[in-house]
Amino acid sequence: DGPSQGPEKKRLRNKQRVLLLSSRGVTHRMRHFMNDLEALLPHVKKDAKLDSKNHLNLLPELADLNNCNNTLYFEARRHEDLYLWAAKTPNGPSIKMHVQNVHTMDELKMTGNCLKGSRGLLCFDKGFDEVEWGRLTKEVFTHIFGVPPSARKAKPFIDHILTFSILDNKIWFRNFQIIEKDPLQPSGPPQTSLVEIGPRFVLTPIRIFEGAFSGATVYSNPEFVSPAAVRSALNREKGAKYGQRKL
Amino acid sequence: EDVVPRQKIEIDNKIALERIRETIRLDPSMPWTETLTVTYPETIDVDVDDDLNRELAFYKQALHGANTARTLAAKHGLPFTRPADYFAEMVKSDSHMERIRQRLLDESATIKKSE
Repeated sequence: DGPSQGPEKKRLRNKQRVLLLSSRGVTHRMRHFMNDLEALLPHVKKDAKLDSKNHLNLLPELADLNNCNNTLYFEARRHEDLYLWAAKTPNGPSIKMHVQNVHTMDELKMTGNCLKGSRGLLCFDKGFDEVEWGRLTKEVFTHIFGVPPSARKAKPFIDHILTFSILDNKIWFRNFQIIEKDPLQPSGPPQTSLVEIGPRFVLTPIRIFEGAFSGATVYSNPEFVSPAAVRSALNREKGAKYGQRKL
Repeated sequence: EDVVPRQKIEIDNKIALERIRETIRLDPSMPWTETLTVTYPETIDVDVDDDLNRELAFYKQALHGANTARTLAAKHGLPFTRPADYFAEMVKSDSHMERIRQRLLDESATIKKSE
């Protein structure tokens, strides 16, 4: 039986706790982004930065020490590229993704707001159900981003919705506040509208591993080009231009 | 595409992916209130670079999700709407919201001035 299943047979409980931590070398923006996630997800336990980038096998143990059965690990490379590992610990799977277009709540001037620790709705688009890796990702994200009702700091009302959409082979994340009264006519019929809260980010799946931070690759994204390769290609192009001009 | 295509070994082990999903799957008989997950019955099919339509598509997805969830919540007897007299700490602090409001005011003032 999985760690997600409660001990009692009668009432099935969704028991999830998420360990959130980063590697060394995160920039201020990445740090703020992590804080945003921590504010939105009350079942998250934040831990200190992981010292070594080569010993990811420590993470399942660390999650276990914190009574967590999920891990979100942010890995910063070269002080500019950010990768996100979303893993079920201790038995896997783990998904490695590249994080792009991060906009934190602080820098986005959005008027939405929600209760700290209210349980957000999760909304996935149909694209997740059309491919096998999408279905697995949806399952893992349901565990990690869905706030269980038993979360200690959870509030009893629902006032925001997290959306995940697949577009251009990437996963786009948005967070909206749900407003049920029309602000222009407060006594009128209830009319649902949404105001974005933030943050925003885009995830490109790179690989899915069978184990937690280890194991065989069961999916790899053939379209993914590492950001370092993109930059070096750009530089080479620039260099070629200069070389031609010199001739 | 502006990126040079490269030969890469593609792995897409559908059987393994499905097996892994089976091992971690939440019990389907679990009540909806435990996960609060909804699925949008359409795929997002817009031009990635068209910011306006892309955000509109996400908005539509979220709106559909919110409405579906409200009916589901009513069915399960889960409190949904926050009463007007319920106050608690918010995700964005009051000072942050004040900053946003001030910015909006400033913007509208500039527009008025230029008119």
